[in-house]
Amino acid sequence: MEGTYIPEPEEELPGLNVSNSQGLLQWISSVDHKQIGILYLFLAVLFLLLGGAAALLMRIQLALPGSTFLSPEMYNQLFTMHGTTMIFLVLTPAILGFSVYIIPLMIGANDLAFPRMNAFGLWITFFGGLLLYFSFLAGGAPDAGWFNYAPLNQRQYSPGPGIDYYCAGLLLVGAGTVGTSINLVVTIIYFRVEGMTLGKMPVFVWMVLINSCLVVGAFPPLNAALSMLLLDRQLQSHFFNLMGGGSPIVWQHLFWSFGHPEVYILILPPFGMLSEVFQVYSRKPIFGYGFVVGSGIAIALLAFGVWVHHMFVTGLGNTVYNFFAASSMLIGVPTGIKIFNWIGTMWGGSLRFTTSMLFAIAFLVEFTIGGLSGVAFAVVPVDWQLTDSYFVVAHLHYVFVGGSLFGILAGLFYWFPKMSGHMISEKLGKWFFWLFTIGFNLTFFVHHILGIKGMPRRVYTYPDISGYSLLNLTSTIGAFLMGFSVLFLLYILRKSVKTGEKAPNDPWDAYTLEWITSSPPALKNFDRLPPVYSLRPLRDLKQSSQLQNHTDGINTNILPSKSDRGGSFEKNDN
Amino acid sequence: MSQGSHVISIFNPQSAEAWKLSPLNNYLIIACSFIMIVVVGLLIYVTIKFRAKAGDAEPKQIYNNRTVEAFMIGIPFLMVSFFFYQTVKVMNETEPTVQGQVPTVVITGRQWWWQAVYPGTTVVTANEIHLPAGKKVLLQLESQDVIHDWWIPSFGPKMDMIPGVKNYLWVTIGKPGVYEGACSEFCGKQHAWMRIKVIADSPADYQQWLLNKSKAALPPADTLALAGAVIFNKKSCADCHSIRGTPAQGKSGPDLTHLASRTTLLAGMMTNTKEHIKRFINNPEGVKPGVRMPRFIFKKDTVNALVAYLSNLK
Amino acid sequence: MENKLMMKMVIGTEAIFFIALMITYVYFSVTPGFNSASLRLLDIKTTGLFSVLLFLSSFTFWRAEVNFRQGNIQRLKLWMGLTILLGMVFLFGQGQEYWRLLHENFSISKDMFGTNFFTLTGFHSLHVFMGLILLTVILILILLGDFDDPGSTVISTAGIYWHFVDIVWMLVFLLVYVLPVLK
Repeated sequence: MEGTYIPEPEEELPGLNVSNSQGLLQWISSVDHKQIGILYLFLAVLFLLLGGAAALLMRIQLALPGSTFLSPEMYNQLFTMHGTTMIFLVLTPAILGFSVYIIPLMIGANDLAFPRMNAFGLWITFFGGLLLYFSFLAGGAPDAGWFNYAPLNQRQYSPGPGIDYYCAGLLLVGAGTVGTSINLVVTIIYFRVEGMTLGKMPVFVWMVLINSCLVVGAFPPLNAALSMLLLDRQLQSHFFNLMGGGSPIVWQHLFWSFGHPEVYILILPPFGMLSEVFQVYSRKPIFGYGFVVGSGIAIALLAFGVWVHHMFVTGLGNTVYNFFAASSMLIGVPTGIKIFNWIGTMWGGSLRFTTSMLFAIAFLVEFTIGGLSGVAFAVVPVDWQLTDSYFVVAHLHYVFVGGSLFGILAGLFYWFPKMSGHMISEKLGKWFFWLFTIGFNLTFFVHHILGIKGMPRRVYTYPDISGYSLLNLTSTIGAFLMGFSVLFLLYILRKSVKTGEKAPNDPWDAYTLEWITSSPPALKNFDRLPPVYSLRPLRDLKQSSQLQNHTDGINTNILPSKSDRGGSFEKNDN
Repeated sequence: MSQGSHVISIFNPQSAEAWKLSPLNNYLIIACSFIMIVVVGLLIYVTIKFRAKAGDAEPKQIYNNRTVEAFMIGIPFLMVSFFFYQTVKVMNETEPTVQGQVPTVVITGRQWWWQAVYPGTTVVTANEIHLPAGKKVLLQLESQDVIHDWWIPSFGPKMDMIPGVKNYLWVTIGKPGVYEGACSEFCGKQHAWMRIKVIADSPADYQQWLLNKSKAALPPADTLALAGAVIFNKKSCADCHSIRGTPAQGKSGPDLTHLASRTTLLAGMMTNTKEHIKRFINNPEGVKPGVRMPRFIFKKDTVNALVAYLSNLK
Repeated sequence: MENKLMMKMVIGTEAIFFIALMITYVYFSVTPGFNSASLRLLDIKTTGLFSVLLFLSSFTFWRAEVNFRQGNIQRLKLWMGLTILLGMVFLFGQGQEYWRLLHENFSISKDMFGTNFFTLTGFHSLHVFMGLILLTVILILILLGDFDDPGSTVISTAGIYWHFVDIVWMLVFLLVYVLPVLK
């Protein structure tokens, strides 16, 4: 009997025809979602190393008070590039990489809806990143912070070309991100396997869908702001320049009406990854599926109504503050729902503490810290005392690293066997987990205290008062531990690819469709698929094959057994 | 005047405004600690209790539990409502400004120093701002160039200084002392060295200080200082700096009329000594990179004369 | 269907972009520094005429689409060509408006109105230009005989974009040209 209809692009695409012997050229010319997904991850790693190096240089400078290791110009360029890189060129590509790789597999499609547009998104992001970094050679990187406030971003105060490169680079990166997001939405809407209704979509797919809509809605204000800034700097228009009648506050409104949704853009897909990880390693379905998905939608909608909480000290007035305080606090509710639903998923389960699961559990702790310190900024009077201090630095790193990155790492250790075909040594993985987690907390926990003790953020040095020195030195030591552990991770990944044990198709006894394919999946993902009746089609399949004991031929023949390492079904009549 | 250095911290409130905010800080810490304990406690329990054992059958598949979900939504919602109520309450208690009120001091953020002008008097000073303790005073906050932010952790709220906008802040300092803070909005190269020192005097001392500082600068005491005064006005110093009672009326640099009575130089970067003044005049860019003051190639005697003049301006 | 959803999302994101620009325009037009004297430099009659031609191109495009669905390829060529022509005429109109304004020494750096006017209309013209490239590519493909399947969604997808560009111009024209006159 024929398997279920598998939607796939009607025509053959260039990437499907090239043979492996073409090597690097094949990767560059590929339009296959798996290869592009992996390239996105390489892109993220490349820029992680650059952004991480910037962070370590900054931490060396801040290790001791009054240090002259870096000039203030250089320090300002580094922290600007660090923030911009990590947000636009590390976390975003990492998230898109996993989305592009996993989503078609999870929904039973053979590729994204628009494979060429997918490649376009990747490469335009890459060239945008290169353009941004080219500024170092062209006379100075941007130096006004990643949110680049007016009027500091005007030619008058930042005469170098850095901010022009910032605008141009981010416009390109933004175009790529929006394009890929649109691609993902269309794919999820139209390319799902038969039977996978919206209510049976895995949580990761839901989160990517919500997130992609958020990207489509959030990037235009940024693009508008960047275009205006570029016009200000190149053609002497006056949007943000007070002299010509412009307003610096308009920049803040435009930037943050993008900037705050962006924060959720970086956290929603990791939420989805974690939801998969918790289910599989607890051997239980996600607790409160509807609430987890619904809270994701709630966060996405609220995201557009909270941006002024970045501007509580600009003097806009209490009426405005009240509204945005309420909306910002409300975000805490859906976030809390998610945290407790994940604990609910673990409750009563049979927990396996793989590296992936350790990151997921650590995420719950770190993200709760980051979330709670975030609520502090919604409480206006507390925000009045702490905004733009090191407390913000602590908060945002607990959210971006402790939240997004821990989620992504949980996803990495979960999906790495599928993507590479090799298992990661659990022992080394756990070493990495502990090194990274300790390093991370050592680096950033002390930043809370520095903020409370009045150290402003973005300072290239500080006076030797109030115990600043010891706290900063601690942070620097932690940063180096983190830096070391990232290199260690790359070593582990390389070692696994070279000499790691071969991964079976379904090493984790997982629930979703990507685990039916071989590891790594063949160029054509699926030839046949089991029908989807529930959230966990693979579990249904395994159970039905146990129950029916091969009396019914349907689909059991495509069920890979755990020892099945060869591709028995993926090399069919192609 | 008590000069002991105080602990810079938002948990060391020293003004009526900061006292108003501090219960909220404490509530927040209590609530956050409670949530942290619940989350970590649950995690510890779950990870110990539900550890997989060899040969485990598939655990019971629980998909949902409406009662539990109701608590998950209800409890955070109640907590959030409490904090929203408190937020609005505390915000309403903070004093708004009435348009047209005369501020006690107009503070202007500049790259990278603070100018303080005391309306109703002739006093203009920089970086070390005197205020009366025990009296409610109004600060008017402005900016000359980019956005700066006025932040003294012990005084409660901070406030942005935005070009083209006038912001106001009330402050009622509890007791005399020295209170430190810093610019809290990234403002360019020397954002790090844009520190604030507020010296709170008893009202009597404050009146005395205003009286002293509204006077013109002291005349040069000796021939060297006199030579310095002549150089100051002849060379370009006077184009940017003011010294009241002399022809020097420049407006773009800090007012130096009573420079010698300040304790630090360059917005808290170094202590006010002859040696430091000399170093700075000799190479402003080397001492504070990015600073607006150009480097003049002076002879050694010229510099010594200038330093003698400036360090005499009590 | 995929094409259409994709295009709808593209114009969704573009629409928010233009909304951001328009909100900025409105914000600055009510701030004290706004020099409303500059508004009088605009030539509402000429631009109005060119606007009508642009709106007309939406109609001609609709005719092209109808003929395509009926398999009337000759008429399709005609209407599509007419649409492109109208779009080009509109761009020419914008060009001569810019030319005149620049010669009257009114530029993007002149004042807040100039800043907003040139940005808003400039970005719109850029979108018309991109639309024209899209339509020209389609016309070439039609001439090469590529469009014989009435089920193809390519033309209706391009149509979504073209109508969107017209609607944006309707709003921009109302906001920049018509409203100040009514006031």
